[in-house]
Amino acid sequence: MTNAESQNVLLECKDLLVGYGAALETMKCPFDFALSSGTVVALMGENGCGKSSLLKTFAGLLKPVAGEVSLEGKSLTEWAPRERAQEISLVRMSSAVPLRMSVNEFVRLGRSPYSGIFDSRTAEDNRVVEESMTLLDVLSFADRPIAELSDGERSRVFLAEAVAQQVKVLLLDEPNAFLDIPRSHALFRLLKKIATERDMGIIVSTHSVEYAERYCDKIMVVNGGTVRVAPASEARKEGLLDWTDACYE
Amino acid sequence: MQRLLIGFIALAVVIVLLCVATLCFGAVNIPFADVVQALFSPGADVSSNILWNLRIPRMIAAILAGASLAVSGLSLQTVFRNPLAGPFVLGISSGASLGVALALLAGIGFGSVGVLGSAALGALLVTLVVMFAATRFAQTGVLLIVGLLTGYFIDSIVSVLIAGNSSESLRVYVAWGMGSFGRVTLGDVWIFVVAVLVGLVMIGVSLRYLNAALLGDDFAHGLGLNVKRSKICVLLGASLLAGATTAFCGPVAFIGIAVPHLAYLLFKTTNHRVLLPGAALCGMALALLGGLFPASVPLNAVLSLVGVPVIMWVLVRGSGARF
Repeated sequence: MTNAESQNVLLECKDLLVGYGAALETMKCPFDFALSSGTVVALMGENGCGKSSLLKTFAGLLKPVAGEVSLEGKSLTEWAPRERAQEISLVRMSSAVPLRMSVNEFVRLGRSPYSGIFDSRTAEDNRVVEESMTLLDVLSFADRPIAELSDGERSRVFLAEAVAQQVKVLLLDEPNAFLDIPRSHALFRLLKKIATERDMGIIVSTHSVEYAERYCDKIMVVNGGTVRVAPASEARKEGLLDWTDACYE
Repeated sequence: MQRLLIGFIALAVVIVLLCVATLCFGAVNIPFADVVQALFSPGADVSSNILWNLRIPRMIAAILAGASLAVSGLSLQTVFRNPLAGPFVLGISSGASLGVALALLAGIGFGSVGVLGSAALGALLVTLVVMFAATRFAQTGVLLIVGLLTGYFIDSIVSVLIAGNSSESLRVYVAWGMGSFGRVTLGDVWIFVVAVLVGLVMIGVSLRYLNAALLGDDFAHGLGLNVKRSKICVLLGASLLAGATTAFCGPVAFIGIAVPHLAYLLFKTTNHRVLLPGAALCGMALALLGGLFPASVPLNAVLSLVGVPVIMWVLVRGSGARF
């Protein structure tokens, strides 16, 4: 690996073993992985295979069983929490939202890692919030309570919050689970666009082989306790997607 | 923005008016001119005596109690993500009552550091129980049950303690249990002030956490917050506020659970930068209003008259019940 390439790596893991599920079962083989800027990685696998746990480990919410995750060359454990929150964000669509919070208030929370002790917002914060809301097309319902939104609208609001956080690494847990087909296409196009334009690295878990192959640069598959990664165009050839055809009786 | 400005100005005006009313009206009729004179150039006359020894301490007690209970209730509702949480529901006020009962039976007078200390300790003890329950059980429903049960359990301990005692301490305890702002004296009000200030600061420095906590601890963690430390800080602050108020004014019901919803109705925001001061001011106004009624009407009865309709509203609207 040349020096220029290594500078590009945003998130890296070495000999990583992840615990998952309620019983914190450990995955079988440790794996190495590097997320470069400008790339979108699709994370795939059956339900309960440990996709969410993997994302949580990347985000520092779960401690790895073995191995290490480093963010921009520095071990995740060495980051100060607030600085880490300016670089990496995990977005989970299933988060319960408080009934009274408006879209605008929620997206403004994304500026929290940049705010002082009294949680105030600067003009710059307001600009970033508005820009994120425009990018995700949620401005038109900015004052409505999130709880009253449709699932699709809510997914975009969650993304707008993460974009407002201005992170380098974005981890998304099934963002298109509640989206219709046109919106899903639009979402993946948008992910690719912001990854390229903002030099971000994005890992997105999804159940859709179509979107993964069409819009993502790499496909990461968790199957039977092992993690394998291949470029999206070669994943099928290399047998990474064989598990999708397995049938259950 | 305009809503905030109007809301805060209106509240400030109401509070000032209620303060004036608290100073002017009471069991003894003092002409307004005498009140003003006693206020700015206190002499040895009856008016000055009543004003400085009764009405001013009562006003300060109402302001402190209203602000403390409202802020305590709001932060508990946020941290536990439950609209029905509050120092009363979670048993924290009962814990403080136990402390007071023990201190009373041990013969320590009202308002002294001993009573405050044991009340705060009792409140803290229950907070620890609730905190433990909160880490064990994810559903907030379980948490409320634990809080209520703890409250009942402590109330029965207090009953047993009182039953085996002389009629004098029984009388004092029962009087205290009805709640009143009239028991604080100018001599020991500073302890109340300090306790409330410390509690408010502990919650005030956790603003970032309170705003993020509405979406859960994982979310707050993702925003770079030290969830464990902030949570402990907020809960200790909330129990200090509830404990101090209970020690000085008795178990004052409803402000803690009802006022945060009033503040939301007024300001229509979930941002604690607005909601915390807003709730504190609403609490002050409600407490001052309750304190205006003649001493023969128990404070808790007055406050329940205002508090119950608010909680009913929250339940019926359902907006709060699911949060």
